[in-house]
Amino acid sequence: MSDTPYAILKSVTLKRGAFSVFNDLSLDLRERRVALVGLNGSGKSSFLRLLNGLLVPDEGNVEVLGVDTRKAARQLPRHVGMVFQNPDHQMIFPTVREEIAFAPRQFGASKADAEAAALACLAEHGCADWADRPVALLSEGQKQLVCLLATTISGPRLLLCDEPFAGLDLALRLHFGAFLARAKASVLLVSHDLEMIETFDRVIWFDGGKVRGDGTPADVLPAYRDFARARAGSLTALAL
Amino acid sequence: MIGLYLEKRSPLHLVPAGWKLLALALASLVLFPLRDPIVLLACLAVSLSGYALLGRQGLAALRALRALALILAFVLGLHAVLGSFQTGLLVALRLATLFLLASLITLTTRMDDMIDALRPVLRPATWVGLSERRLALAIALVIRFTPVIVDMGSRLQEAHRARSGRKGHVKLVAPLCLQALNAADHVAEALAARGGAAPELAGEPGGTGRLEGREGDADQMDTNR
Repeated sequence: MSDTPYAILKSVTLKRGAFSVFNDLSLDLRERRVALVGLNGSGKSSFLRLLNGLLVPDEGNVEVLGVDTRKAARQLPRHVGMVFQNPDHQMIFPTVREEIAFAPRQFGASKADAEAAALACLAEHGCADWADRPVALLSEGQKQLVCLLATTISGPRLLLCDEPFAGLDLALRLHFGAFLARAKASVLLVSHDLEMIETFDRVIWFDGGKVRGDGTPADVLPAYRDFARARAGSLTALAL
Repeated sequence: MIGLYLEKRSPLHLVPAGWKLLALALASLVLFPLRDPIVLLACLAVSLSGYALLGRQGLAALRALRALALILAFVLGLHAVLGSFQTGLLVALRLATLFLLASLITLTTRMDDMIDALRPVLRPATWVGLSERRLALAIALVIRFTPVIVDMGSRLQEAHRARSGRKGHVKLVAPLCLQALNAADHVAEALAARGGAAPELAGEPGGTGRLEGREGDADQMDTNR
């Protein structure tokens, strides 16, 4: 574990319309695998989007891999990869090979090099024969694997995952959990699957844009479970 | 009408995209002056044999083009009523041959090969300030999202039937448009997260692809691996 944080938030305020998502939020991230938990609307997805420059803070600073996201928004995608919940929103190309070759080509490789890299990447993960398949015909698990490969092929140093495994079966979730454990990048995962994040290095619990719990899974998850249960007991139309 | 690329390898897959497009252009030039229905029928047979080369998948693709038959019947009918049946037959045969050839190219050419072949044709667009790369990306997006939007429509149809027992038809147009726009927002976001339509490429001035600023700190981060 490195002592240098890869992301530093300094008194960040983020507004979406009149509603403020974060108010004076400060946080350092340095652990290799960090999980974000919290109820819907607690700010987890906005937090991820602050880290790759899709959102910039209204006040305060976000520093990722040593640069201010406001100033380096164009360079960030090369070093910060993001996997979304719905693969159909992420995949841009009709075939698997083109989809995976996109990142290398995007970042300056020649067409031949990008294709070779894509084929090697597919072969490494035992799916060399997917190369010419139309992405529309892949199963959900296959689509998500293609998204992960397309994101990790360019060797990002930070991998942001916005609930990408929510719709997958248990076997696939275990498989992708192992994939993330092996990944070279630092991983930031938003997840409602608490079992999957039990081996993570750190869990941050967001509630209404504030950090309600922060520590090892053993520290944070029991309290979060109790909180969610208590909330479930008191759910009314107003609380939703 | 946009068929999906078939991954099965055929001799047609090996022909460079540019040659195929050129052949299609030539075919349309050659077909135009032909007036003999027998010769046109022979041309149609040749384009059909292209599908036979693709095997079972080719025949399945042919079945997916059934909607084409309706259009051709309409053209034929219109000519029969307003002009002569003979002209209608010629036009229908010509159209069918060209449609089939064009679709055959779509089925056997990878998207990025097609875009690369089209690049010289797209170049004039750069004169009026449009980037070639953006146009190429736009074409890829249309091909990619056609099946997604068709799928969206059938899911809406399903939901409507599950809740009303009837088909939705026209009522579903507005919700489909809204869903498509919503999906477009998500796709735009994902594209931005992946470097956008015009990334800072290595080698471009000011865009070394390296993070600027505190490079030292960023390099230390590698010990993290």
